[in-house]
Amino acid sequence: MNNPNGRLQGKVAIVTGAGCVGPGWGNGRAIAVRFAEEGARVFAVDKDMKAMEETLALVRAAGGDITPHACDVTDSQAIAALVGSCQSVYGGIDILVNNVGGPVPGGPVRLSEADWGQQLDINLTSVFLMCKRVIPVMEAKGAGAIVNIASTSGIRWTGAAAVGYAAAKAGVIQFGRVVGVEYAKKGIRINSVLPGQLHTPLVDAVLARNQSGGDVETLLARRQARIPIPFMGDGRDTANAALFLASDEARWVTGTEIIVDGGMSARCD
Amino acid sequence: MLRLDGKVALVTGCGTVGEGWGNGKAIAVLLARQGASVYGCDLNEEAAQATRKLIEAEGGMAQVQVCDVTRSADVKALVEACVARFGRIDILINNVGRSEPGDPVTMDEAVWDEQMDVNLKSAFLACKYVLPEMERQGGGSVVNISSIAGLRYVGKPQVAYAASKAALMQMTQTTAVIYAARGIRLNCVVPGLMFTPLVKRLADKYAKGDFEGFVAQRHQQVPMGRMGDAWDVANAVLFLASDESRYITGQQLVVDGGITGATR
Repeated sequence: MNNPNGRLQGKVAIVTGAGCVGPGWGNGRAIAVRFAEEGARVFAVDKDMKAMEETLALVRAAGGDITPHACDVTDSQAIAALVGSCQSVYGGIDILVNNVGGPVPGGPVRLSEADWGQQLDINLTSVFLMCKRVIPVMEAKGAGAIVNIASTSGIRWTGAAAVGYAAAKAGVIQFGRVVGVEYAKKGIRINSVLPGQLHTPLVDAVLARNQSGGDVETLLARRQARIPIPFMGDGRDTANAALFLASDEARWVTGTEIIVDGGMSARCD
Repeated sequence: MLRLDGKVALVTGCGTVGEGWGNGKAIAVLLARQGASVYGCDLNEEAAQATRKLIEAEGGMAQVQVCDVTRSADVKALVEACVARFGRIDILINNVGRSEPGDPVTMDEAVWDEQMDVNLKSAFLACKYVLPEMERQGGGSVVNISSIAGLRYVGKPQVAYAASKAALMQMTQTTAVIYAARGIRLNCVVPGLMFTPLVKRLADKYAKGDFEGFVAQRHQQVPMGRMGDAWDVANAVLFLASDESRYITGQQLVVDGGITGATR
């Protein structure tokens, strides 16, 4: 989309996890659509091409420029191919949004060792692998913005045990801080968005089954009770925070976090 | 979507003494550019009027007045005047603040009290009179300008400033929880080492007037290699004031070029 006033006009953005488990505003879908609205050309990545169909349709219906690419972002070789493909399609990479992730329930006793390993791979190592391949491209240009989608699960107990997820997301937050300082002089910024308990399609498709016997309304009510703002946010709220951090408006913001949780983490009452 | 058309913003400390862009002036001008009607106040009438003229020259809407935001009666009158002029208050920016040198031994008690008044009580008073207006309207957004001095030791003894800015963040967080159900959001922008006209005064206070040396040291302290400027603060304020941040409350947005992510 040619949007001369767009806040990301002329930029190329890789968004991982740009599909969604169901219809509606997941974080990745909302980020891809919002970034395209602001003029970015979006290289949309998901392991499941089918999950990206609604994302592609939304962007294209609005006249945006989006290219889908299937990739498992825990696979180093596949990521190398992804980065090459984005460069050949769009000629560079200005923005990387690491959005892939998801929880498996269980504390240290219940969570299997295999699931622990998989949780670290999908939620944390994926960020490391994407940065390993993308940062050199940004460094060569002397500019870039990376936004990692972490979670309030990385800073609080939020109602259900998912220890691999929580530990990995805490890792993502600290990864952003130290890499932010390391690359500050090279023009690359890296920050995290911490969504709280938003009403994304994941709640209906996965979390309700895991946490409330499939009863979505019960789970939503339980989540809302923790949140001072009296409504549920969705992926578009994550997307707006990611947009601010990815844009030049945040040119002096690095190594930090924006928490998008309706005030949930501000209370412990 | 960062438009603020039809909204009214009250900005304290909206003037910059002398040339250049201080935080309050940049905030007032940016909010006006996005369509807000800006009601500004400052201790210095000339500085406030300069901001008003700038906004009007760009085709924006502004009114300014002198106000000492540490005095309850003055703040009450300020809020009444803003509502009388523009009919409502959607956005409140508590930007007034000042740093005085000293540690607990070297700082006079009177200076400590004055620092608490100007950095903390000022925001308390503005909230006292503005929150009821926002509640009547069904919502609003408050952005308080804190400082990384409220999070870390940043290179100069300013114990009262540090303590008052930390307190400002906690006042913001707790008030945010209390007012969330009433549609009012409160957040802080937490600037790091900024290159604003104020740096000249800080160099006089903290570096015996060695402006060049003070500036070089501050640039070098920042991982990004340079201080930020008032527009970096203003952009963060705009995001938090706008509806794009409708689900963000009780938070701190740190704008510091990475300095608080590192040790020395």
